[in-house]
Amino acid sequence: MSARLVPRAGTPDPALTELRAEVRAFLKEQIDAGVFTPGIDTWLTRWNPEFTRALAARGWVGMTIPVEYGGHGRTFMERFVVTEELLAVGAPVAAQWVADRQAAPSLLKYGTEEQKQRFLPGIAAGEICWAIGMSEPDSGSDLASVKTKATRVDGGWRISGTKLWTSGAHHADAFFGLARSAPLDPAHRHDGLSQFIVLLDSPGVTIRPILSMSGDHHFNEVLLDDVFVPDDLVLGQIGAGWEQVTSELGYERSGPERFLSTFGVLESLVHGVVDGSVEPDTRIGATIGRIAGMHRMSTAVSESLERGENAELAASVVKVLGTKTEGDLADLADEIAGYTAADAHLAELVRAGVMQRPGFTLRGGTSEILRGVIARGLGMR
Amino acid sequence: MSGQDALQSTELRDFTQMLSEVFTSGDDHRIGEVVELDRALWSTLTELGLDRLTGSEESGGSGAGWREAALLLEATGGAAAAVPVAENDLLAGWLLETVGLDVTPGVRTAAVLDADGRARHVPWARFADSIVVLWESPQGWQVAEVARGDVELVEAVNLAAEPRDHLRVDLSALSGRDVPAGVADEFRYRGALARALASAGAMDRILELVVEHTTARVQFGRPLGKFQAVQALVADLATEASLAHAAADAAVDAVLAGGFGDASTRFAIAAAASCAGHAASIVARNAHQALGAIGFTMEHELHRHANRILSWRSEFGTVSSWDAELLAAAGEAGDVWALITGGPAR
Ligand SMILES: Cc1cc2nc3c(=O)[nH]c(=O)nc-3n(C[C@H](O)[C@H](O)[C@H](O)COP(=O)(O)OP(=O)(O)OC[C@H]3O[C@@H](n4cnc5c(N)ncnc54)[C@H](O)[C@@H]3O)c2cc1C
Repeated sequence: MSARLVPRAGTPDPALTELRAEVRAFLKEQIDAGVFTPGIDTWLTRWNPEFTRALAARGWVGMTIPVEYGGHGRTFMERFVVTEELLAVGAPVAAQWVADRQAAPSLLKYGTEEQKQRFLPGIAAGEICWAIGMSEPDSGSDLASVKTKATRVDGGWRISGTKLWTSGAHHADAFFGLARSAPLDPAHRHDGLSQFIVLLDSPGVTIRPILSMSGDHHFNEVLLDDVFVPDDLVLGQIGAGWEQVTSELGYERSGPERFLSTFGVLESLVHGVVDGSVEPDTRIGATIGRIAGMHRMSTAVSESLERGENAELAASVVKVLGTKTEGDLADLADEIAGYTAADAHLAELVRAGVMQRPGFTLRGGTSEILRGVIARGLGMR
Repeated sequence: MSGQDALQSTELRDFTQMLSEVFTSGDDHRIGEVVELDRALWSTLTELGLDRLTGSEESGGSGAGWREAALLLEATGGAAAAVPVAENDLLAGWLLETVGLDVTPGVRTAAVLDADGRARHVPWARFADSIVVLWESPQGWQVAEVARGDVELVEAVNLAAEPRDHLRVDLSALSGRDVPAGVADEFRYRGALARALASAGAMDRILELVVEHTTARVQFGRPLGKFQAVQALVADLATEASLAHAAADAAVDAVLAGGFGDASTRFAIAAAASCAGHAASIVARNAHQALGAIGFTMEHELHRHANRILSWRSEFGTVSSWDAELLAAAGEAGDVWALITGGPAR
């Protein structure tokens, strides 16, 4: 057993501090100009394609994509810093999120040359949006049980099944659909799965909205009815879908969006304490301390990914702690300020925080599943 | 050099290796009795220069910095070592050097006295040769060294039966040396950081004990660790311990980068003290739950560590005082995110 589940973080690089300041100044400009109002959980709930393109124009989308594919060839840490700044301020970044976070690195790792050239430049330009085609009505935590079926046909595959909870599918251009391409062998459940690049405007794709409890439309049901996917849109190896999807989940679980979804609430609470409208509750201070610790841990995970290490265990630690912390913060704000807070902006954030919080510890792998990952890392199972 | 590189540097690796040889964990304290200074261990530390690790070489110290001190404190925490490393080196030794007094060989602790010359819960005082005291006189803050024999002492202990004695010193008989008020402030930050680091080390040991127990102990025909409910207890314990480590690391880096006077160092130490303090609740509770009745006994090692982390979080400031300080710092900065990242305000 290793005592440290999360490696130590390195000392801060001054160049990163400079980049942080640049992004911060830009975001302030945008807020001051009324381009966006800071919100809660904006990486899931706020689609603003113009803002995404404005970020892309500055080189802050597709940062780690190599220059030859239209990206910026920057480091994982540079991307981390930009990501943190966008999240902390609550910028509307849903339009770029999945494409930038997981589609691009998966394409780089598993995609063909043709696929990279076809999709990566558009992702880096903020013009291609991606969704996640993993969950199904009967397949959530147990992803290996997906029933969406891929059948070999001339020149490609025909895919049928239902994907569920597909955030942003109604805006997205494509997703990697996880499907069973060979019959289930109960002794080897992870075999026979494959990933397909499904263009969401393909014939046979129906996208139906599912309203979340706040009444907003973020999720969808995506029906795939004999959708044709040509061979050149198979992602990676047929049959290697499990390994690929696990790698994709690594990107999905490890980022600072797992502890900063409600950060704006904290800023507003502190301002409330300063102007006397919010009681100086020490729990606000405790949350600040936790988030400072999380920032440090998340930095360490990013550095570990940059070194090419397997960060699954460390990322699970950050996700379990972070999603609890960001959710607890929403609750705390509700307890001490409430949706009736005199400050209208704070009241709005409280409302959004409370409505979004149940999803934090579910999406991207539930805390229960991730605790199992941690226990395995500790050698308990 | 990044922290990772630093850890892998040969010197620090060798140092860590040496610490693991010196502090063999699970040392056997006399059951039911007050923890006594481990004289044998202290002599070893003295021989190796670990008793005054960060003291200047001119004053007989080893001239190391907080990076090494952090490793030493984590090791003492992990081993429940009965030695006043933090008090002797990082508090008393530091105060003496600050005012230019000689640091003669000996065991020291340190205390901040009130206007009547009293201090409560002073670590290891009964075993110390002398106590370095800090007090505010009408002329300002003063430091002096007092021999153990010149101090009125009432014995007391913390939750882990470590000596935490109440003292009274006759201030009129003391001649102190002037120090700026900042020194008294720094005393608290140094002490709190030392405790946060030792706590992180102790939490690692607790996690080790819990994993050992839950993988070995069988109930219902399976090791406890195979039950998801038990895995969840242990995973939550492990994540909180990781957070305490991360926050303490960040504070050490801040000390190295900006010294104790820096506002961002003070914020980082407050965060470390807060994270370690809150983590202690979950770590102690979950570890006890996972170990069942055996962990509740005097003979089991768990209570030594669990009771220490619970005690240490109230020394040098309560957990909630650190939380309040974090909130106040955020209010003053006006931009919480800038404070957390050490960057410019938005
Ligand atoms: C806001 C939000 C956005 C999402 N976006 C997407 C998306 O874009 N694309 C996508 O594919 N999916 C998406 N999801 C789905 C998400 O990945 C699943 O909700 C998640 O994997 C859990 O699956 P489930 O909802 O089917 O719950 P279930 O798997 O049915 O689990 C229900 C409960 O049982 C627990 N549980 C299940 N199995 C175990 C076990 N073995 N041990 C212990 N506890 C267990 C779970 O932890 C959970 O608490 C989103 C979900 C949310 C909330």
